[in-house]
Amino acid sequence: MNTVPTPGTPGAGRRVAPVIAPPSLGRRRRPSGEPPPLPRRIDYSTRWYLLLLALAAGFWVALSLRPALGLITRADLTVLRAVATVRSVPLTSVMLHVDAVRSGWTVRLIAWGTIATLVAFRRFRHLAVYLAVFLAAALLDSAVSLEIGRMRPAGIPILGPWQGYAQPSRPVAMLALVLAGALYTLVPAGNWRNRGKLAAAVVLGAVCAARLYLAVDHPTDQVTALILGWSLPVVAFCLAVPTDVFPVSYRRGQRAHLDVGGRRGAAIVSALDHQLGLDVLSVQPFGLEASAGSTPLLLRVRGRGDDHEAVLFGKLYALSHLRSDRWYKLARTVIYGRLEDEKPFSTVRRLVEYEDHLLRLMGDAGLPTPRPYGFAEITPEREYVIVMEFFAGAREMRQAQVDDHVIDDALRVVRRMWDAGVAHRDMKPSNVLVKGSRVLLIDVAFAAVRPTPWRQAVDLANMMLTLALGSTPEHVYQRALRIFAAEDVAEAFAASRSITVPNQLRSLIRADGRDLAGAFRRLAPKRRPIPVQLWDVRRAAITAGLAASLLIAMALLVAYARAAGLL
Amino acid sequence: MRHRLAAQSRACRTRPRVLAAGLAAAGLAAASTLTGCATASDPVPGCGAPLRLAIIAQSVPGASYVPCIRQLPQGWTTSSFDPARGATSFTLNSDRAPGEPVTVRLAAGCRPGRATPSPPRAPGVATYTWLASISPRVTGRLYDVFPGGCVTYRFDFPLGPHIGLMEEFGSAIGLYSRQQLRRTLKQELGVELDP
Repeated sequence: MNTVPTPGTPGAGRRVAPVIAPPSLGRRRRPSGEPPPLPRRIDYSTRWYLLLLALAAGFWVALSLRPALGLITRADLTVLRAVATVRSVPLTSVMLHVDAVRSGWTVRLIAWGTIATLVAFRRFRHLAVYLAVFLAAALLDSAVSLEIGRMRPAGIPILGPWQGYAQPSRPVAMLALVLAGALYTLVPAGNWRNRGKLAAAVVLGAVCAARLYLAVDHPTDQVTALILGWSLPVVAFCLAVPTDVFPVSYRRGQRAHLDVGGRRGAAIVSALDHQLGLDVLSVQPFGLEASAGSTPLLLRVRGRGDDHEAVLFGKLYALSHLRSDRWYKLARTVIYGRLEDEKPFSTVRRLVEYEDHLLRLMGDAGLPTPRPYGFAEITPEREYVIVMEFFAGAREMRQAQVDDHVIDDALRVVRRMWDAGVAHRDMKPSNVLVKGSRVLLIDVAFAAVRPTPWRQAVDLANMMLTLALGSTPEHVYQRALRIFAAEDVAEAFAASRSITVPNQLRSLIRADGRDLAGAFRRLAPKRRPIPVQLWDVRRAAITAGLAASLLIAMALLVAYARAAGLL
Repeated sequence: MRHRLAAQSRACRTRPRVLAAGLAAAGLAAASTLTGCATASDPVPGCGAPLRLAIIAQSVPGASYVPCIRQLPQGWTTSSFDPARGATSFTLNSDRAPGEPVTVRLAAGCRPGRATPSPPRAPGVATYTWLASISPRVTGRLYDVFPGGCVTYRFDFPLGPHIGLMEEFGSAIGLYSRQQLRRTLKQELGVELDP
């Protein structure tokens, strides 16, 4: 390979002094048995709902015993006979109209409306829980109904329409299910949800009263239906998407991120104090609109002096981010081919460990990356916060003046990465900051150690394109020849093509209008393009598998909707 | 400041969440298929389970008989049991007539029309048979008419095995007397079937 020696790096190494106070007395080891900062917990109301579900299950068992069934049926009929004493023609007409509220169309309308809204607001975690609980409730209702096989109220004229066995009352269960589902996935917790609960109670109460009047259901059919239709989704939402962790919010930029207030906010402060010795004064989310792979945080911590504050940068990683990363890499494999190893992380811990490791490794190599301060465990294997230096006073490359000092420093950074055997893999203006005439690199989470030569060449090409946006290809090329051989540049642009350029950089080049890559290719020695492995067996298999999965998914979705009673 | 913060926060990339949601839904749908569609395989009450037959009797309050499964011959299954106000229907499926189940429906009345009388299947029941075609398939209807109700059996069998199939489904379905059902409910649960 044709290269020139690495230029001297007098400023290399640890150039950023620590800005935070020494570890405080807060640092401590969590003893065995002590819960983590943010333990998974089940609140009292959820426990009550679980108890109700258990009681309903016990009641269903009792109904399978002949003596208990007789006793319960006679008690139910006593209530219904008492209700029947107030029957009149006008009242019956009213009750029939009230009962019509629970029609299949009402349930379908609310259910599909909820699903559409969740999709529109990209609240996919809520959507997954909603679909699962809807199916579970529908199947459970059918299974219990078939197992018990209870008749409709006997000995009393039934005035309203009915279908299927009586226990549990399917229309009541389904109506409660869609109302609870809509409330817990669409309505923000607090006053609005409380008002919604009240409205739902009124609707359910009216429908239940009407059906008792019409003698369509036994009272106990409705009680168990309400428990099934309301408690099951509430328990599911409280466990899978707890409000304090996954709040329903319609504020811009918040939906893809975890809430860092409330219990989690306190847990972050406590974890950073106990595990990293950071005296955190405040935790604030910021720049959320630009990120989805983690929840970025601005951490204000106590500095060296009592009245001195320092600012650190943090990223909160959770299981949802890990899953997103897996799908992101799968999509990359399908869309771009296997440009390089894109193995997803197996756990959140692995992901955060890797980023911490990369920060330290790149720091040790003298690269101008944020100084790492370690990471803290919030919920074991589920949530972690990684903390690093915040580059105060730095600007994005596209907003800085790209003079010779900046160009040289930026190219030296690439040269140093080559020497250290690392690749950034996401070189673009927003990840290259400038402070004074110094170039700083951020977002190293997806960097690679011992990358392919092709990837190293792509890093150089992307850095030169980034620099050329604020300068000219000719000037950047001339400065590059002071650090790289002409053949290195030729290799870089032989490796570079549209798909290897990050989206942001590609957009900026398009907006710029100049053929920057073409200009570099004309300047550098001629070299044949390096073939990128666009289609290989793995990519073809994954693409075919994914297409087949989507087709199957569509067919199964129809089956799901039928099974759940949504069609 | 704002730009700098945003820049440093772009540690994360946009993710194809739609894929995740689609696959999650696919998983759920698969689960639903594996667990069996809730309404596709409802068993029809047997003649030996009178408490379960009560709901059929309630669907047609005046019917003096209700259909029930006496014993399913080899190769037959039931599905789509649908008791509702005014009528009850279900289907009988034979592995020798795939895709063409026998549809059984109890209603308050029916119109045998030009159907020819057959030997009655129970006391007080008038049975009729009407054949729409005998080749290439044997299709038609069987009627059990009794006070307050009528059971209609719609069949479509391949020519040849149709004789055995008709005998089998005829013997598989029994008629349970409402009077007997009323007595059983009174004894077992202490309730009256009819108002």
